[in-house]
Amino acid sequence: MILELSEEALEYGREARRAFAAAGGDELLLAAEADPARRAELGTSVLAGLGAWELEPYADAESAEAAAALCRAAGHALLPYPVAERLARVGDTDALLVVADTNPAAPIGGLELTWTAVTLDGRLHTAAPRGPVHDGFVRELELDAGGQQSDAALAMGLVLGCWTLLGMLDRAIELTVAHVRLRQQFGQPLAKFQGAQFQLTDAEVERSGLEMLAKYALWSGHAAPEDAVDDALALRAAAIEAAEVVFRVCHQLHGASGFCDETTLSWVSRYSQPLRRLPHGLSATRELLATRIGRRGLTGLYTP
Amino acid sequence: MGEGAAALRTQLRELVADQVPHDYLGAFSDDPADLQVAQRFCKTLAEDGMLCSSWPARFGGRDSTAWEQTVVREEMWAHHEPRGAQYMGVNWVGPIIMRHGTEAQQRTHLPPIAAGEVIWCQGFSEPEAGSDLASLRTFATRDDDGWLINGQKIWTSYATMAQWCFLLARTTKLEPGGKKQAGLTIFLVPMSDPAIQVRPIRSMLGPHHLNEVFFDNLRVTEADVLGEVGAGWSIVGDVLSFERVGIARYARCERLLHAAPGILGQAWDDLPGELRARWARMLVHCRRARLLAYRLVAAQADGKVGPGDASGYRIAVTKLDQDSAEVLMEILAAAPADGDRYGWFRGEVQDHWRYSQASTVSSGSIEMQRILLSRAMLAAS
Repeated sequence: MILELSEEALEYGREARRAFAAAGGDELLLAAEADPARRAELGTSVLAGLGAWELEPYADAESAEAAAALCRAAGHALLPYPVAERLARVGDTDALLVVADTNPAAPIGGLELTWTAVTLDGRLHTAAPRGPVHDGFVRELELDAGGQQSDAALAMGLVLGCWTLLGMLDRAIELTVAHVRLRQQFGQPLAKFQGAQFQLTDAEVERSGLEMLAKYALWSGHAAPEDAVDDALALRAAAIEAAEVVFRVCHQLHGASGFCDETTLSWVSRYSQPLRRLPHGLSATRELLATRIGRRGLTGLYTP
Repeated sequence: MGEGAAALRTQLRELVADQVPHDYLGAFSDDPADLQVAQRFCKTLAEDGMLCSSWPARFGGRDSTAWEQTVVREEMWAHHEPRGAQYMGVNWVGPIIMRHGTEAQQRTHLPPIAAGEVIWCQGFSEPEAGSDLASLRTFATRDDDGWLINGQKIWTSYATMAQWCFLLARTTKLEPGGKKQAGLTIFLVPMSDPAIQVRPIRSMLGPHHLNEVFFDNLRVTEADVLGEVGAGWSIVGDVLSFERVGIARYARCERLLHAAPGILGQAWDDLPGELRARWARMLVHCRRARLLAYRLVAAQADGKVGPGDASGYRIAVTKLDQDSAEVLMEILAAAPADGDRYGWFRGEVQDHWRYSQASTVSSGSIEMQRILLSRAMLAAS
């Protein structure tokens, strides 16, 4: 298992953060929201400059770590482009979407790409968007009957998506720490109140735990492919749970200002929604995990 | 973890299977049979050089790797700590005496710990000094013959059976406005002295867990002082550094959770789906806590532990302890009453639940961990 990403992957993630900031940072999302058709233009050149399309996360673990670092940086920067989906692509299409088999949908509004969808049973489908673009760039999808089975694609799609969400949690906590250090109430910064401090620790325990599970699932995709889907689903369940705690804490500590569009948290929170709700929310994901692992449970120290 | 750690795990599991009865519930038992099990198990470990494998070779250890030490922590706690009360001596009393003790103290104390022949208790907490340990009042007065100690300790595990106490006492009167952490000293005192009285406190946690210890004009000498007089607080800091990862609570949680479906048999499939989903969630949280522990072990081995790293892990693992205990209790309650079919497992789970209630209180309360973690978060950016 890996406890830390390689130094090369970490440096690549830092470089990506710098590149996203130089390309416009949070302004990119504002521009994409105003005109979703600009998403490709806003995302592709900076990603090409980072060599994103040369990454081959299925081929080797080193490349998978770089892909994970890139997704995390994209989540942190709120990059309005489906980085994880593009990196997880399979076959001849441009991107892979992990979708539910009923009411499939994904945040692909405004993008003219070719899509493969993978349902939670690991079956690959050709997918075509239909209907209007909803909040968070979400569009419904039309799937064909499906054919080939690919657990590797399912696991990769789930895992890289969780790395993007992890980046968003990093950002939400950073914003909140900065806010409580600055915001004064009763003559002192919020950071001085133990009630605020303790809430921050709830968020951080979830975030740091998710980070470890994300590294584990990334490793397992290459080192233990027979467990990869179980581990990816376990990660996905933990990611949604962590996001719920982190965003609740971050909103609470931001107070009313956290809902305002002048505050970055408002954007992070809103654009985390598709990642938290699709392909399934917490209850359905847990149920899927429990069904899938059955009596055996996850691979661990005492697996029967 | 490496081949050595994997082989050690196999060896420990074989030893446990061979020497520890399946219904052994361990460290805080007052059943003479349990005490015998622990004593015999420690002797076997000592004979194989495994009891103190983490110790440096010059003190009779094996210089085992951080990962081998992790395996020992996991396997022992998962199986209800078959070393009984002796794990404290091995884990930190011995290493602290190596670091701060005189040659005479090392000669006196280290061999019996290494041989699994002695039990220590920790004389830290007092009625008015729990999380705020430096507020302690037990006082040692110096005179021509050495020191006279008076005061009271509380919540002292194993005090009824311990031969020695690792005692923290105030040796300089605390002046108004003075620094509480100054003027504290560690003493190594024999529990057999009639000036020491132990009173067990009956509790839901089981025998030997909680005790009061009273010191009434306990006479000790300069030879019983560990380290420098007045330097006790920095030794306490060293003790905490040995206990950073602490007991591997996640290992017992994981073992019991994994055992449940097999033990319930057909009844497992009749459990509510929501309960099985909670069980799955706990397995994810076990993995999460284990990975946080491993990151801490790796950072410690590299000398790169951040100020909040241990606290984040401790919060995660103590909450896991309690949450998994609730899920396991609910699984048992939902299983059909089926004579003694689940008898020993029921005992294990109930013991786990009882002990888990104290996990957010003992060895640094969760509130202290939250204070340390939030301090690190707010200082870092």
